[in-house]
Amino acid sequence: MDRRSFLRYGALAGTALGAARINPDFFFSSAFAQEARPLVFLSAENITGNWDPTAHTTLSQTNIEGFVMGYLTRAPMRPDDPEKVVYELATEITELDAHRLQIKLRDGITFHDGKPFTAEDVKATFEYGAQLDRPKQVYPGGPDTFAVETPDDHTVIVDTSKGGYGASLFIFLASYLPILSAKDVAGGPKGPLSQRLNGTGPFRFVEQRGNDTVMEAYEGYFRGAPKVTGVTFSFVGDATTRMLSLMNGQADVIERLEPEQVETLEARDDIKISRLVSVENKYLWFRCSKPPFDDWRVRRAACHAIDRSMIMEIMGSAGEASSNFISPIKFGYIDLENYPEYDPDECQRLLAEAGYPGGEGLPELEYITSTGFYPKTKEYGELIAALLQEQGFPVKLNVMEVAAWNERLYDRPGGGPGHMVDCGWSTGSPEPDLVLRTHFHSSAKRICGIVDPEIDAALDAERDAPSLEARKESLQTNLMPMLADKAPALSLFTSVLIHGMRSNVDGLFIYPDGQSDASRTTLS
Amino acid sequence: MFILRFLARRLGQGAIIIFLVSALIFTLLRVVPGDPVRLMVGGMAPDTLVEEIAAEMGLRDPIYVQFGRYMGNVLQGDLGESFVRPASGAAVGGASFDDSTRGERAKVLDLIAETAPMTLQLALLAMVFALMIGVPIGVWGGLYPGRLPDRLALYSSSLFVSLPNFWLGIVLALLLSVKLNLLPAIGYKGFSYTILPALVLAVEIAPFIIRTLTVSVAGVMGQSFIDIARVRGLSRNQIVFRHALKNSAVPLLNLLGVQFSMLLGGVLVIEFIFDYPGLGLLTINAVMQRDFPLIQGIAIVTAAVFVLINIAVDLLATAIDPRLDY
Repeated sequence: MDRRSFLRYGALAGTALGAARINPDFFFSSAFAQEARPLVFLSAENITGNWDPTAHTTLSQTNIEGFVMGYLTRAPMRPDDPEKVVYELATEITELDAHRLQIKLRDGITFHDGKPFTAEDVKATFEYGAQLDRPKQVYPGGPDTFAVETPDDHTVIVDTSKGGYGASLFIFLASYLPILSAKDVAGGPKGPLSQRLNGTGPFRFVEQRGNDTVMEAYEGYFRGAPKVTGVTFSFVGDATTRMLSLMNGQADVIERLEPEQVETLEARDDIKISRLVSVENKYLWFRCSKPPFDDWRVRRAACHAIDRSMIMEIMGSAGEASSNFISPIKFGYIDLENYPEYDPDECQRLLAEAGYPGGEGLPELEYITSTGFYPKTKEYGELIAALLQEQGFPVKLNVMEVAAWNERLYDRPGGGPGHMVDCGWSTGSPEPDLVLRTHFHSSAKRICGIVDPEIDAALDAERDAPSLEARKESLQTNLMPMLADKAPALSLFTSVLIHGMRSNVDGLFIYPDGQSDASRTTLS
Repeated sequence: MFILRFLARRLGQGAIIIFLVSALIFTLLRVVPGDPVRLMVGGMAPDTLVEEIAAEMGLRDPIYVQFGRYMGNVLQGDLGESFVRPASGAAVGGASFDDSTRGERAKVLDLIAETAPMTLQLALLAMVFALMIGVPIGVWGGLYPGRLPDRLALYSSSLFVSLPNFWLGIVLALLLSVKLNLLPAIGYKGFSYTILPALVLAVEIAPFIIRTLTVSVAGVMGQSFIDIARVRGLSRNQIVFRHALKNSAVPLLNLLGVQFSMLLGGVLVIEFIFDYPGLGLLTINAVMQRDFPLIQGIAIVTAAVFVLINIAVDLLATAIDPRLDY
């Protein structure tokens, strides 16, 4: 065979093989030729691949759960009434006494797999979500600290007398963990829970197709079938790409807009902007279990070196000033009087008292932050590093891509990498314990790694208070001021959640944690 | 016999290249900072568990042991499983250390087989657009060396080569998709989604085609056989299309081969900007997530494609010009 024949026959064979494999749909499927179509939501964050709602603390996946799953209550968490809850699968929650809470459930509801929703599902969810080995362990103690009775199919009684804490803690937690089917829970963490979402929400989980999570309207939703045919929730990593998608109509809603993007989009008639004070605070976490930040005076000195008003200028519309360790839309928030403000003299006094006059003797301090996930982290990281250096802290800023930062984020034996880490924390419930206990109790330390018996006692005291009012007082007069003094972290500001959406999207309710209620949404 | 000798020699050389690329990528991935196991098990997992899983996966063995094991599997057609991606193919982040879906990780070969046709389609269309832009300008410039068409070819190629592709991508998306609503820009739901990214890539490639053609056409037109063709009474069109272009095609062919290989392996920025679900986007996410098996698999496949394309280009060149001997 000569070279020309070889080429000729080779080309023919290749063409024949290729043609046989071509699916015409691969080429032709117009994006613009759709009438009744799903709502397209572009997310800035990827998902985990394991659908068990207790297996992760990933916001994007929590947002997907918000479309599919049902909750006993929902918490709109608006600044004017942060404690408001709206009943969903529950119709009534009553404190029978300090340790007993009665929850009445809605009748006639079914999961997407057809199974009726009953009190057994709530019991199974509470017990499963409380297991200490669940990454999103949410209830105040392990499952042996409370008991759940189900006198009938639509009544649940939670008794926390074994744990010694108030049952009122479950009120806000009820709007945090979605209700799972007892049948799914019985399969355990490796069972059906991890394979797909099965809820009672307005949209039914259909499939994960590449980076698209496909959901369709659930006809049997108890408040009536949604108007849109479904929701396509897609991970698109690049902020500019998300913005272009919104501008050309390929996306209906996009999240995590940068302030500059807001300015661009606000000038357009076909796009509207939603701004919400979010549940997320951004923190500078100190590694409290290793020097020099194992000394509260050094931590507090660092806090006094940072001028948060300058950070707010950098953040623009993406940040809201706050002076506490939780967002202003959480239960118990107050502006703390002793919250550390910019005060160079106090910084120097504390440094000298700790044995580092003018910063002399301090080791080189690594400040770890990320770029590309939270807005402006690099910009205000540079500012914080400069402000700290001004007071004598030998700070080296390390700006990392998200995966590398995430790998170094959490506390480890010996203190974890670096000395300071920038990270936000966000939980979709007014319950402050989900932030405070998670980070500052020695049994559950996440990033700062603090072990302090006084803080533990203050956390337990507010948890064990017999009523919501007593808890609020304990939080505001004991725990929160103590945290401000000991400064295991500095909460820099509260994030503002900014969504962009097409102006034809009506009736989309966005919660301050990023979840959305699209059950009444129309695309006019 | 020429074909057999040629193929045997070039495939043998190609195998060595692929082996060296694999060894280099494999080693580099294991010496750069960033522990993939930490990403797999989640940030909150204890260090002991990280070490336990890493040891189970053989990631604490010496690099040459790991590489030997890996190449043994590759020779059997097994590129392994992604560290983080589930079978659905979604770009995922680490969940928890007891993530039960770990047993259903996507096969690297499947992920590449799903995304490579997308990139192939993009690269082919980009080449077609680039030829449509580059050939007329390049040939025109080559036919009038030193005159206005030549200068125009030089200026246009200088302009095209100076446009950063990420900037051009955004500008074209704003113009053609947002303002004029002519084309979709983001993602992929059909052939039309390939047009804009292909156009951006074409603008990137066209200058090389223009310059190569301008120089080679001008060179061919100055050769004596062209003068003889004129004496033989052939028309200018016949001379250009039958003789000059054919003889100018060999350098162009080599250039296209290299460009096409680079397109297949190097469309990272464009696929990221347009969220185009091809090999480039797959690569970016794999690098971000320290997904070693996926990065290695992509490197091996793209190296193999590079080798095969170059063999095909050389074969084509010898078919066009039998004087060439590779």
